[in-house]
Amino acid sequence: MSENQPESGVSRRQFLKGAGVVSGIAGGAGLGLFGYAAGRDPHTYLGWQNEQGASQTFYRKRYEVEEPTYEVVGPTSRPDARVENIFARRGSFRIQYTRVKEGGEFEEPLKSYYDNHPQDLELDIINQEEIMPRMMQDQATYGDQFLLAVAWSSAMGAVSPLPISGPPQEADFPRPRGGGMMAGGMGMGGAPQPLRLKDPAKTALLIKKLAHEFGSTLVGITELNPDWVYGYPLRGRGFENVDEPLEIPAHWKYAIVVGTPMSWDPMYANPNYGTSNDAYSRSRIIAARLAAFIKALGYPARTHTPGNSYDLMVPPIAVDAGLGEHGRHGIVITPELGSNIRPAIVTTNMPMATDKPIDFGVQDFCRHCKVCAENCPSGAITLGDKVEVRGYRRFKVDTAKCNNFWTSNLGNIGCRLCVSVCPYTRKANWLHRTALKLTANDPTGLSERTLTALQKGMYDAPDPQTYYMPSLGGENSSYREPPWWLKTEDFIELEADHADL
Amino acid sequence: MQIFNSGLFWFVEGVLCCVTLLGLKAWAQDRSIPTPWWKWVVLVLWVSLAGFTIAFVGTSFGEGESTAAIRGGMLFGILAVLSGVGAWRLWMIGAGSSNQVTDAKP
Repeated sequence: MSENQPESGVSRRQFLKGAGVVSGIAGGAGLGLFGYAAGRDPHTYLGWQNEQGASQTFYRKRYEVEEPTYEVVGPTSRPDARVENIFARRGSFRIQYTRVKEGGEFEEPLKSYYDNHPQDLELDIINQEEIMPRMMQDQATYGDQFLLAVAWSSAMGAVSPLPISGPPQEADFPRPRGGGMMAGGMGMGGAPQPLRLKDPAKTALLIKKLAHEFGSTLVGITELNPDWVYGYPLRGRGFENVDEPLEIPAHWKYAIVVGTPMSWDPMYANPNYGTSNDAYSRSRIIAARLAAFIKALGYPARTHTPGNSYDLMVPPIAVDAGLGEHGRHGIVITPELGSNIRPAIVTTNMPMATDKPIDFGVQDFCRHCKVCAENCPSGAITLGDKVEVRGYRRFKVDTAKCNNFWTSNLGNIGCRLCVSVCPYTRKANWLHRTALKLTANDPTGLSERTLTALQKGMYDAPDPQTYYMPSLGGENSSYREPPWWLKTEDFIELEADHADL
Repeated sequence: MQIFNSGLFWFVEGVLCCVTLLGLKAWAQDRSIPTPWWKWVVLVLWVSLAGFTIAFVGTSFGEGESTAAIRGGMLFGILAVLSGVGAWRLWMIGAGSSNQVTDAKP
């Protein structure tokens, strides 16, 4: 034993070395536990801290650009929703198809559309003749496992604001009621005259604050580009004649875009356990509240809300408002929520400062990534390049193929797999925030390619064909396991259980 | 689980890191291993990789992405082991060259 060694047999130096080893191990274990906690932390599911705007975490100013990241390549035009909106077209198709089968013809504009797009006619017929009947049969045989998911979706969709009651010239304007309850005699309705607002920048701040107060995760404001307004109105929007061109009212000057995410755990269990109804309902209510607020200040306001109560296309307006960029799958990719956003819009002429579009690298990322296209069971998302659509160059989604999968799907209607698999649709924890910052700030593109390769190599996914229902050769797969509270078999005695008794 | 989001957690991690570095320094002195600045840079880089690997595995398991945890753990783990061997060899440069007498072997 050396002189400076105490009787206990351990010198201070030896203790320091031993403590160093123990500390290193403990520190490493701490990092592992930190990671586990970060992975499980429900607070990293953005979208539920809205009242203070805490979900809009991305510093957009740094990524602002003068022009949106979609390109104008030719003369632009407005979409004809009657045939280009898949729900509107298939609605008209179903009404007319029986007569066409008996030897009649489609009416305009369907006739011209199908003459120019025979592949869409074929897909619409397949949907009607094959997919829908098979889905009904499979639903009866295999649908029980999704009972809780369907019930949950129904519950989320049960609350909705009143539908639009008339055309813009009537329904958008405030109707003064009562009086005396507020300054100017507004009462519970709108102000008799638009109130004089001091500063558009302050008004924009006020509107954004209120959007967050009403529950919106993200909010942005832009001047409305007329190219995004439908050429003809959809049914159910208060227009008397949907075959008359939609004249864009002068008071649709600005568009306020709000949006919330779908509940995260079920969203990862798409295409069958997730639903759009939760975010749809929230966004509808937020938009209705914003419109009511604007009308109370004496300005016109009109909501454009999901599922299909629109006079305009929402994604490009969200891009213009700086919420995100247009992805390969046709959905806006936002820095905070990735693709998991369901937006709604309020159009108004209340003077407001507008936001700029942002460029945080999505165009390059989507060009190389293709995860959504590779995992799309219907093949609706292109693996190819962007194409020209009405004068704009962008990725084009085959909505007929997409909808054919939607309507074949058991459980909750729709699919949303492209939302689930998108590498941007991830929790807001250290790992994915770091990846986002890397891709947003790397001009070489090296990080985006590396991260895409890691995504494809490390994160597994079912074969896309297994997402189909059994009669179409699939297995009713979902991208990830459903959350415990949507597993029907754990809560309800199903007929199969009875058979086992 | 809230503790892992707290400042206290990172304070404790910092203390553990300091103790580890002090222990490493004492160990290097005892073995007559010179510790110029660049060896500490090498160490920090390697610890960052190892720490990332551990945190990645933990986070992926926490997210329910067990396949990513295993595959990523293997990928980054192998990288950490290989780079650890390299870092060790760099750290041992000059070991035993000092005239200081110790009971440690180079």
